Amino acid sequence: MTVILAICVGVTFAMSIYLMLGRELKEIAMGTFLITHAGNLSIIAMAGSPMVRAGLLKRAPILSELGLRVDSLPQALILTAIVISFAVSGFLLTLVVLTGRTQQTLNVDELASE
Amino acid sequence: MWNNLIILFIVIPQATGILSILFVNKTKVTRTLGTISFSLTSILAVGLLASIREGGGIYTSQMGGWPAPFGITVVFDSLSGLMLAASSIVALGCYVHSFAILDDKTERRYFHPLLQLMMFGVNLSFLTGDLFNLFVSFEIMLMASYALMTIGGSKEQVRQAYKYVLLNLIGSTVFVIAAGLMYGLMGTLNMADLAAIVAEKRAIGEPLPTGFTTVALMLVFVFGLKGAMFPLWFWLPDTYYTVPISIGALFGGMLTKVGMYSLARTVPMFLAVGDHMPVIQAVIAIAAVFTMFLGVLGAVSKHNVRRILAIHVISQVGYMVFGIAVLTGHALAGCAFYMIQHMVVKSSLFLCCGIMEKYSGSDDLNKIGGLLKRDWLLATLFIVAAFSLVGLPPLSGFFGKLVIIEAGWTTGFWYLSIFGLLTGLLTLLSMMKIWSYGFWSPPRGEQVAVPAGAPRIRRLRPAYIGVSLLVGTALFLGFFAQPVYQIAFHAGDQLMDPTQYIGAILGEDRAEQIRFAVANHRLPRASDREEAVAIPAFAREASNNGSLVSQRSADLSLGDGGVVHQLSSAGLSDASTLFKTIGIGVEGVSP
Repeated sequence: MTVILAICVGVTFAMSIYLMLGRELKEIAMGTFLITHAGNLSIIAMAGSPMVRAGLLKRAPILSELGLRVDSLPQALILTAIVISFAVSGFLLTLVVLTGRTQQTLNVDELASE
Repeated sequence: MWNNLIILFIVIPQATGILSILFVNKTKVTRTLGTISFSLTSILAVGLLASIREGGGIYTSQMGGWPAPFGITVVFDSLSGLMLAASSIVALGCYVHSFAILDDKTERRYFHPLLQLMMFGVNLSFLTGDLFNLFVSFEIMLMASYALMTIGGSKEQVRQAYKYVLLNLIGSTVFVIAAGLMYGLMGTLNMADLAAIVAEKRAIGEPLPTGFTTVALMLVFVFGLKGAMFPLWFWLPDTYYTVPISIGALFGGMLTKVGMYSLARTVPMFLAVGDHMPVIQAVIAIAAVFTMFLGVLGAVSKHNVRRILAIHVISQVGYMVFGIAVLTGHALAGCAFYMIQHMVVKSSLFLCCGIMEKYSGSDDLNKIGGLLKRDWLLATLFIVAAFSLVGLPPLSGFFGKLVIIEAGWTTGFWYLSIFGLLTGLLTLLSMMKIWSYGFWSPPRGEQVAVPAGAPRIRRLRPAYIGVSLLVGTALFLGFFAQPVYQIAFHAGDQLMDPTQYIGAILGEDRAEQIRFAVANHRLPRASDREEAVAIPAFAREASNNGSLVSQRSADLSLGDGGVVHQLSSAGLSDASTLFKTIGIGVEGVSP
């Protein structure tokens, strides 16, 4: 499971960096959205499955009458991060739209040459 | 009772921000509300600081009543207090200044709520004692600053804002990853808890988990990006150049300090403790040299007042990074003092620049001149602020640089001190450039016509009040440096030896444990506190006996009571699975 997650994180990172190296503002924006996903995935990978984690970490999974439960903090972290990156992405897209309207182009080279 | 007062630093700006949305079209109401809010936080911060001046106490509050490592902690210690007081006063000055500078249209575009919400984020990041909460407060602050940056919606602003948002989005992502990894490695995100674990491990000679250095460097990267540390400063000059000057003053004075504060908080407390300390120290020291020197070279080469001031921010961030790189209590105290004085002085210079622009319609040094004759008050305010920035005794910058450079000289960072002094010289040069071109020399060349209906002193009165408030604070910091330094030295000591911080947040027992571990290089055993805790007779016997086998059996039998109880309630049949889960060795125990 961890290996699969690790591969996912790696591929997402690679894709986002590739997109960010593009010449269009839209592409760059998409790249940053992807990189936030990669970050969230890596937190999931770090949280791991409860069985693996128990010996490794300080706070073992909580035992209760419901049986084994996973440490819910990483999920909470990811949830917060998703909400925040969602808001920032929205703002970034607004800026892309504004730039497109005022400058008639979204190409980085053309924008820089003005 | 005093402890819970510190929540007000968060609640006041937030509540005022929401209220000002309601009254967004009634400028008078929002202005009054905002002024009250900033005055209240300033008074509260100064009052609380005065109360901890002698002993260096720490006020803490647990959000929602959850105990420390689980809930979010809000901490007001000497460093946070200094930063909060300075930032509230700076915000008040810039805010009052904006009444004269901003046009009516901009002001109604939610300038007041946004400013309040930004201060909400700034205050929260100074107060929070939790790494992830620090990320959240950064985001609150940044979100408001994105909106403030594009408040006019001009072509240039949108272009610069795109860069700024993009960079900060990447920085935030790295922060989230680092926070997640930190939780994975250490099992906690509470800064006091992190400091406790790291100090304990170091004392008993246990290595930190693999990858800790990487996470530490990731955090240094993030805070360096927010604080415009070399080589992450490239975004700063352009972005601070395009915004309205009152907002630019607040950005230039405050936002970089939030990054620097986070660096000063985390590096001595837990990031640079243990074996990897030299790595982090070296990285930060090299960054400090380049930040100081390249920043000031950039400023000398520019010919616009705003650009000079904006690039200067970078150079002065270098001094703070220098203080953090030296990593002694003395240097950190100097760093804390320098941070607050720089906030005040830099903002007042930006505000002066705002008034200059009102007079001459431009900030290009080739086009303006003769301001000394036109307005001696502005000239006086400017020269006091400029000399404070340069560090001429007895003004505030001198005391900041003195302690940092002395600390560098005595701890083997002499090259940093030399660059620091050289940077001071070049700072003087660039400030004199503004002075001689802008104020002293007669107007030359194709001078920009003064806008119609030239502003009179009367119309600009709020701007002067704002600048005077900040310059007055700078003078206070210079002439009353001793009491401020008293607090700053407490801050430095608390950062270098976090046991007081740990004690205030996690309870005195935990702090005692750390002190014991540091003194004896081992963890306190039950036998050390026999009189305090009653332990079962067989366990005591086992630990006295000392043989491995009986030790283990004692461990197991001690654990058994709890485990068996949990076993039955969990309804699990296979005991060995459970043992594995909780991480107890199971050799010799047949399932």
